[in-house]
Amino acid sequence: MSFQEQERALFDLLFDSSVRENFCKDTTAALHQYELNEEERNDFNTIRPDALELDAKIRADLLLSHFCRSFPVSFSVLSSVDGGLDILKSLVDVLTMRTASIERATLFGRRIGESLNALSFTSADEQTKVSAILEAELGMAWTSATLKREVLDNGQLHNKSTKLDQSWSSKNIKLAPYVCAAMIPESYEKLKQSFCPDAECDLWRSLNKKPLAASIRKKLLEKDDPRLFIARAHVSHMSQCEPTIGQKTAELSEGFASLFQHVNGTVSVDYILEQLKQIGAQDEMLQSIKATFQQLLESDMLEQV
Amino acid sequence: MSNYLVQLPTLGVGASLSLSSKPDPVSLVRAKGGPSFVEYSGLVDVDEVIDEVEKIRAAGAPVLFHPSYINFCGSYSNSDAWLEATSKHIESVGSSWFAQDVAYCFWEEGPGYSTQLGYFIPLIFNQRSLELAVERVKEVQTKVSVPVAIEPPPVAFIIGAMPLFSFFGSLANQTDCAILLDMGHLVSYEMASGRSVLEAIDELPVERVIEVHIAGGRLKEGNKDGEAGPIYVDAHECEIVEQTWQMLEDMLPRLPNVKAVCYECEGVNENSVLATLKRIRKIVREKSSSEALVMSLDKEA
Repeated sequence: MSFQEQERALFDLLFDSSVRENFCKDTTAALHQYELNEEERNDFNTIRPDALELDAKIRADLLLSHFCRSFPVSFSVLSSVDGGLDILKSLVDVLTMRTASIERATLFGRRIGESLNALSFTSADEQTKVSAILEAELGMAWTSATLKREVLDNGQLHNKSTKLDQSWSSKNIKLAPYVCAAMIPESYEKLKQSFCPDAECDLWRSLNKKPLAASIRKKLLEKDDPRLFIARAHVSHMSQCEPTIGQKTAELSEGFASLFQHVNGTVSVDYILEQLKQIGAQDEMLQSIKATFQQLLESDMLEQV
Repeated sequence: MSNYLVQLPTLGVGASLSLSSKPDPVSLVRAKGGPSFVEYSGLVDVDEVIDEVEKIRAAGAPVLFHPSYINFCGSYSNSDAWLEATSKHIESVGSSWFAQDVAYCFWEEGPGYSTQLGYFIPLIFNQRSLELAVERVKEVQTKVSVPVAIEPPPVAFIIGAMPLFSFFGSLANQTDCAILLDMGHLVSYEMASGRSVLEAIDELPVERVIEVHIAGGRLKEGNKDGEAGPIYVDAHECEIVEQTWQMLEDMLPRLPNVKAVCYECEGVNENSVLATLKRIRKIVREKSSSEALVMSLDKEA
């Protein structure tokens, strides 16, 4: 068991800043929490504290580059807020790193969300918009992880082929598996172009060198063109070891969001259209809504119950 | 030494490249003075890389696969699925052997690429760690048909008192495997431990060393009071530091069975790569005790 305790101590030294700091101050005292005999403790005496700090820093930077790919807009926004980059760095800790790698990005995103309240935004509206962007990115991280886990546990998924029959609009509908939806303040592609102009490079590295200016964040988030962002995770490369997950996305007008609340398996498109007709919706609008639902069903964002 | 190591092909002076980024492996292979083989660190699934690999082979260069997801040490065993995929990968691309750093690529949470930990976590240099490393290497050998070469990893710091070559010499002998020595990694060990690797060369079964790596790196200043020396950081896109060149000159005469010398140059521009390969070939010609390796340079010329 003692070697496993040595491994545990090694892991903590790399990912737990308090253990590392204590170790750099007093090696012996810091290792008391591990069940090590004297010889095993002495193995750690050969560590150069400055090298340990450097290793941990480089390692955290590489991990943040990795997480940044799942949350590019959120990372960019946080870089513009006082203390934002430090919060991101602090989240690379044992709690994150002890989580299975598949679920790590999701946990990391949730923890960013919990940290948002500690940051100063220009207004409550701005913070709401930032939360919405994070929710969209977190949704994709979560559906990616869920699908990946499903593939690794159960092998190749057999997607139902979506061929809509004549009566498709009379059947109840719901969100398809591995689909997430969120209201975001602007098109996600535009957000990425605005907030992450250096997306071709290592975004984390460039944000560290040159964080987004608070004034630019404020200006960008003042734009208001809200969209219902929908993303469906799909297997872009099947593997028994490391399946690759991609996201197919769609964006709908703000008005569609209220209709989406009813897409829970209990109503059909015909029912929704009938309700809209009763409150005075024009035929043209109803046809457009019906066509949008059809597209969402055909692209497997929605499914029939 | 095991006969199977003697019979491995001599690949000459090559380059380790990324299949998906610059410099372009095919362009380099076709260039005058380009690499005679290409080593790549890629995804476990061969179908993700096979198209790129076939282009390199069609240009005339054999390839070596260098994974970064196998635990050759520690308590956490490798997954059968990953090892089976590795075996398929190696057979499909015709890699004559495969090498990887002896370090932690994944932790108890399950298999994965070393990037999920940032990069490799260094091994512990003690007897129990050695015993577990023997288990891990044998676990891989039972699944993979080509020879395994173990590589000392880059280290910023050392845990454990067992000297590097004692650990790797014993591991290689107990598992009858080959060894890859990365010159920068040896420099990193010397800086982290304060020990000279050359003084301990007798601990290493040098005839098992079939491959040598050389790559760029950075030297970071040590602690503020300056008592400790610099720390070596492996950084392939950077220039090769003088200590690493010196290590190559010092080691090559002591390694009689080297089959391949590889310049790891991901992210370096093509002209710099060609100039560095030229310098490496000159050193190999002047210093290497591997006759087959030196003769392979004549064939390349």
